[in-house]
Amino acid sequence: MSAQTRMNVVQLDTTAPPGSILPEPRIERLRIRGLTKRFADHAALQDFDLDMRGGEFISLLGPSGCGKTTALNCIAGLLAPDVGDIELDGESIMRTPSERRRFGMVFQNYALFPHLTIGRNVAFGLEMQRVPKAQISERVDAILSLVKLVEHRDKYPAQLSGGQQQRVAIARAVVTEPRLMLMDEPLSNLDAKLRMEMRTEIRRLHQALGLTTIYVTHDQEEALSLSDRVVLMEHGRIRQVGTPREVYLQPTSAYAANFLGARNLLPVSVSAIVDDGIVVVMESGIELTGTPQGLLAPGDDAIAAIRPEHIELLAHGEPGRNTLQGVVQTVEFLGQGTEISIHGALPQDLIARSESEWSQGDRIDVRLPADRLFVFAAEDVSV
Amino acid sequence: MNGTAGKLTKPALESPSVGAARRFRANWLAIVLLGPAVLLVLVLFIYPFIYGFQLSFDTESGGRFANYRNFFGDARERATIWNTFRLALPATLINLAVAIPLTYRMRRKVRGQRFITGLFVIPMTLGTVLIAQGMLSFFGPSGWFNKTLELLQITDDPMRLVHNRTGVIISLTIAEFPVVFLILLGFVSGIDPNLERAAQMLGAGGWQRFKRIMLPLMIPGIATAFALSFVATFAVFPSAVMVGQPAGETRVIALAAWQAAYERFDFGAASAIAIVMASIEVLVLVIVLGGRARFYRGPSSGGKG
Repeated sequence: MSAQTRMNVVQLDTTAPPGSILPEPRIERLRIRGLTKRFADHAALQDFDLDMRGGEFISLLGPSGCGKTTALNCIAGLLAPDVGDIELDGESIMRTPSERRRFGMVFQNYALFPHLTIGRNVAFGLEMQRVPKAQISERVDAILSLVKLVEHRDKYPAQLSGGQQQRVAIARAVVTEPRLMLMDEPLSNLDAKLRMEMRTEIRRLHQALGLTTIYVTHDQEEALSLSDRVVLMEHGRIRQVGTPREVYLQPTSAYAANFLGARNLLPVSVSAIVDDGIVVVMESGIELTGTPQGLLAPGDDAIAAIRPEHIELLAHGEPGRNTLQGVVQTVEFLGQGTEISIHGALPQDLIARSESEWSQGDRIDVRLPADRLFVFAAEDVSV
Repeated sequence: MNGTAGKLTKPALESPSVGAARRFRANWLAIVLLGPAVLLVLVLFIYPFIYGFQLSFDTESGGRFANYRNFFGDARERATIWNTFRLALPATLINLAVAIPLTYRMRRKVRGQRFITGLFVIPMTLGTVLIAQGMLSFFGPSGWFNKTLELLQITDDPMRLVHNRTGVIISLTIAEFPVVFLILLGFVSGIDPNLERAAQMLGAGGWQRFKRIMLPLMIPGIATAFALSFVATFAVFPSAVMVGQPAGETRVIALAAWQAAYERFDFGAASAIAIVMASIEVLVLVIVLGGRARFYRGPSSGGKG
């Protein structure tokens, strides 16, 4: 693409109605194989594989220390992996230093150059590419108007609010038209309202500019709402890859289920496989019926998981399968319904969501629907 | 001290009179606590300075400014200013030239960081006299340095590294390096490492990252280090005598003052020279720190931490 058509792309999107032709992504595909990085005796990243097509938005999701930032830094070239290969459109970039990868990166603390104005910050990457001065000025203005910061062009970073600084950081990265956009928890320093706004903004820019984005976050909501695909990680390994819908509705492990919201985890053992599911028994002798995820055989240790919102609450239920009696212990008002914890139904307390009002000490019947109670092979889950 | 007073002057839920009494006691306490420091500054700095200042106008003949006129009128005396500049400026610049790249290298954790830092800071504990003493035997005509050069047949004649300007510059460089090094190291390690990574991701190679990002953010540190090192070296005295050529090219301004006071017993003239020396130092400080103000001086991290 010539510089002129690039400019058109940027200008087009500020005015064009939604649904107009989107720009082509600048890469066809990214292929990552066996990326491994050890620090001393601790494996920060192990056998990281990922295939990505141009224009895709992928999130690396996991708790802190799961290796998601290590993976991002390896892809950026800021960290040298011990083993592994990264191919961009069929060419290995392992020997290309960061400054020549033409990737854009947004840092958690924004990392704006404090001694340069907003305009100079955004122009920095273009200056490094030796773009002619007149063109730099034009492109900086175009991108600043895209993130609605033109009037702040001559201010210094310290004079802007956190949200504005974040937009500058994004503008600075995208103005160079990076082949790949890397974002390291860019929203974690913002307050809740701004975070929601910026989330929409990031997705909008991703589409408007034809970016290919890898986004690191520990926030499952962020990952689910932004991404085309989610890569769920734990202890330096990938646990599950899928569309937000897939990982949310069909977690393949108790860890995945738990990280994506199934907060009730029950240690059980498999007692029988029946037609409509699997019968598991708890240590206390309580029998439950659930839906097996993966291969399980009678006698196996397993973990049954259920989301708070899937637990059915009845004031006066009839005794039946998977129905238990308990007492409301705590009630938290969430705006959208309440979250209550239930004591006595099972050896551990259950967390449930409810639209109706409950108060502490209420007797309550809970039903764990068999099709919502997922049973996974046992593993260590510490989320 | 301010903090203590501040805390004591914030009584919670007390009647006004009790509060006022408290406040008075607190202020009284602050004054008492400040006393020793104020007294020290008065006795050891303000009084001698004023005394010396008025002494410099104390002349037997030739009017109030005779001492100054004598100093600036005598080519040999006047030359001491230039002599001192030619020692202080090179020593300070050499230190900066070495310390800037060195501290830049050490901006991230390097192996043996504490050992290296310790090594560079040792000269601070030695003092100029000990350094000069060591140099006399090490760099002297029959010292290790020249013996080694001879042995390796690099030179036939011993290199003259003491009893001249070079000797004094070497000695001042060694003595002041720790200060320059520590100040710069503090500044460099305070710069957010993500700034460099961001520049790198935007296509900046090593030199560009240094020139465009790190160096501008180091300017306040460089100016501070320059100012401290320059002032300290401009007051050079022992090494100018011991490893220099005090009768000639290293006859520094402090030596001129000393000679006026203790060889000619003309305290007025000596005071005038001291005031000239102080004025030059202040002038250099104003220029350097004033220049620093024209550069960026804010926090050296780019956003929220």
